[in-house]
Amino acid sequence: MNKRVVITGLGMITPIGSGKDTFWNALIAGVSGVDKVTGIDTSEYKVHKGCEVKDFNYSDYIKNGVLKKIGKGSQFGIAAAKLALDDGRLDLKEINLERIGVSVGTTAGEIQILEKVNYIRHKEGEDMVDPELFLMHPCNNIPSNIAIEFGFKGPNTIIPTACAAGNYAIGYACDLIKFGRVDMMVAGGSDPFSKVAYTGFARLGAIAPEICQPFDKNRKGMMVGEGAGILLLESLDHAKKRNAHIYAEIIGYGLSCDAYHITIPHPNGEGVISAMKKALQSADLKPQDVQYISAHGTGTPANDKAETISIKKVFGDKPGHLAISSIKSMIGHTMGAASAIEAITCALVVQNDIIPPTINYVTPDPECDLDYVPNVMRRQQVTIALNNAHAFGGNNSCLVVKKFRG
Amino acid sequence: MGKKRIVITGVSVISPIGTGKDVYWKNLTDGVSGIKPITLFDVSKFKSKQAGEISDFDAKIYLGPKGIRHIDRTSLLVSSATILAIKDANLENNTVYGGDDLGIVVGSTYGSIDSISSFDFQSLREGPNYVNPMDFPNTVLNAPASRASIFCKATGLNTTISNGVTSSIDAIIYASDFLRMGRVKAVIAGGVHGLTHDIFWGSHSAQILSGSIEGTPEICAPFDKRRNGLVIGEAATLVILETLEDARKRNAHIYAEVTGYGTAFEPKMAVSEDYQIHGNKRATLEAIKDANLTLHDISYISANAYSGKYGDAMETRVIKEVFGMRANLIPVTAIKSMTGECFDASGALQTVAAVMSLNTHIIPPTINYKERDEECDLNYVTEKTTLPVKNVLINSFSRLGNNSALIVSRYKQ
Repeated sequence: MNKRVVITGLGMITPIGSGKDTFWNALIAGVSGVDKVTGIDTSEYKVHKGCEVKDFNYSDYIKNGVLKKIGKGSQFGIAAAKLALDDGRLDLKEINLERIGVSVGTTAGEIQILEKVNYIRHKEGEDMVDPELFLMHPCNNIPSNIAIEFGFKGPNTIIPTACAAGNYAIGYACDLIKFGRVDMMVAGGSDPFSKVAYTGFARLGAIAPEICQPFDKNRKGMMVGEGAGILLLESLDHAKKRNAHIYAEIIGYGLSCDAYHITIPHPNGEGVISAMKKALQSADLKPQDVQYISAHGTGTPANDKAETISIKKVFGDKPGHLAISSIKSMIGHTMGAASAIEAITCALVVQNDIIPPTINYVTPDPECDLDYVPNVMRRQQVTIALNNAHAFGGNNSCLVVKKFRG
Repeated sequence: MGKKRIVITGVSVISPIGTGKDVYWKNLTDGVSGIKPITLFDVSKFKSKQAGEISDFDAKIYLGPKGIRHIDRTSLLVSSATILAIKDANLENNTVYGGDDLGIVVGSTYGSIDSISSFDFQSLREGPNYVNPMDFPNTVLNAPASRASIFCKATGLNTTISNGVTSSIDAIIYASDFLRMGRVKAVIAGGVHGLTHDIFWGSHSAQILSGSIEGTPEICAPFDKRRNGLVIGEAATLVILETLEDARKRNAHIYAEVTGYGTAFEPKMAVSEDYQIHGNKRATLEAIKDANLTLHDISYISANAYSGKYGDAMETRVIKEVFGMRANLIPVTAIKSMTGECFDASGALQTVAAVMSLNTHIIPPTINYKERDEECDLNYVTEKTTLPVKNVLINSFSRLGNNSALIVSRYKQ
């Protein structure tokens, strides 16, 4: 029950680039992934911007380039997993495939398949729908397709806890390793661009018209994004045995639920506070041990204010030691993939001692008065990074990533 | 340090054969079928006409009349079951544990599909500016568990697992691990599946429903030669799990103990006709080992069998491979013969049945079993049977390749 869990491979498909080096360089340079949405026709919407993954070519990532009929969520997941396995220099012939599993999160799963089904039903009638599409839709196709692609035979699970799903999936993967049920896990999240989500958020007035400005006084909302983030996790023993490069260690996590309202976060941030406190407690840390928080920071007026209040409740009103940034200012809100890509970011932060900025930050907000690393990345030593993620339904999570020391 | 023991201290069932554990158990042991003509939506265009529908479900009884109009059937079912489970475990009003000590883990995969589609249709028909924002939350896959948490004020943990048929067993496994880590005191775990038009339509089009192929009878008959696909059921079924230590501390009634589990992944691959046999076997053996038991300790097997042509025969083969010489002796029963395939709720229905078996020493029958199939030749329990029950092996597997096995045992101090 006390095995240490380390991160040994990173893979991501994001609106600002795919693969570790491309992604990280763009992130610390403050590149924005916002553009006009092309995947859906936005002419009838009041907003038109989003963060789509560009130039994604699934066949670049699969063996022999054999294209199976699978949804975009599975394609993103497989591609990110392939990048993580290559990055972790894992030779699949050398490991016990029964001792490696898959744990991924998502918000909407293979939503594009269902949207296609609905479009055909609407335009051409029910009888014109290919029955195979139904079987491709349920979200458990994503972990299943990842496992099939690489031959993994260990535990296989999908946790769809909306915008916090990546953290939940990574946390559970850590538990399985801690308990010794597996040696390794492929864990993270994947979400393709969803018309349903875009429509819903647009109708709620939650999407920013031009740019995403977390914590800025004039922030106008989120940017719907898409992508996948996959971490290769393994027990420290296993990583050492195969001489793997270790990015960082995951030393704990905390979950909580608002049990307050299906869409509105708790006004006093009670659930968010509880998740951060539990995370610190599980890692046996004090607030002053933390140098960096990767914020949930969606860029909506309510979220950023509530998150700031919550952080202050845990870390004090003027936590001088604490830097906070939201990479959603650059890559948008990649839904179920968001906290997985942010966990990857935390691993790179503690390895490189570089903190990516919150871009588009212009006007300070008296209600959001912490250090958000505005606009320019910062070199700063970071031993402990927290990864905050909150979701629809009041699902809160916080993951603790630590600089690795043997 | 030994593993912390996990016990079941509450159960709740809303099923096609009754609400509440006592009605459910009576009908299960009497061999009452919950399969009936569908009334929830029009089935005139389909060849299959039946399902394990819950005919008398009224959410108001459990949740009150206010604020439930916009909540979908799946969420109402699981929220109601949550209220029943808390009551059964004597944990009402959070007087024993605070909300932060209580968590929820729900298996739910297909329940939101109709809500997503109806939201999407509204946008296709009337334009994106005319969708009803009140319907948007129902499109999120974790909505059922989140709704449930609001009704019972459980703030400690809220997780949804969407692994298809194995979801509720996987939820029980997740919850047990979480309790062992000492993160919460009690977890409500199980699964839900609400019967909806789109799932019926999709399953019918994909011809996985019994009677959907011309010339086949619509019948829910696991292991029987006439079986030709599943009959969909709906249910919300939950158990309350605690560590033995905490359960004792509050003098809880202990129904049974969760002693072991195993999971393995093995998908259907084009190259092999014998898919899932190895994975299923591995999950079963891992569970028995995890429970510190031998093959001889298993009193009976609660089969996954859902009246599937391949699935039931495959499960039979696995039981033979695992139990060897004993395979012909060990009682095997398939309760899906009465409830239908309730997907994410199936494993929890099997778990509650096992709990009741351990307390009454009765094994419920596999109904509709009449014509023997050469490929399915085990000791199927076809009549209500009384027998000492100490450990029940619950088998659960999904079409996509998940295999989960759980062992529930008679509680001994």
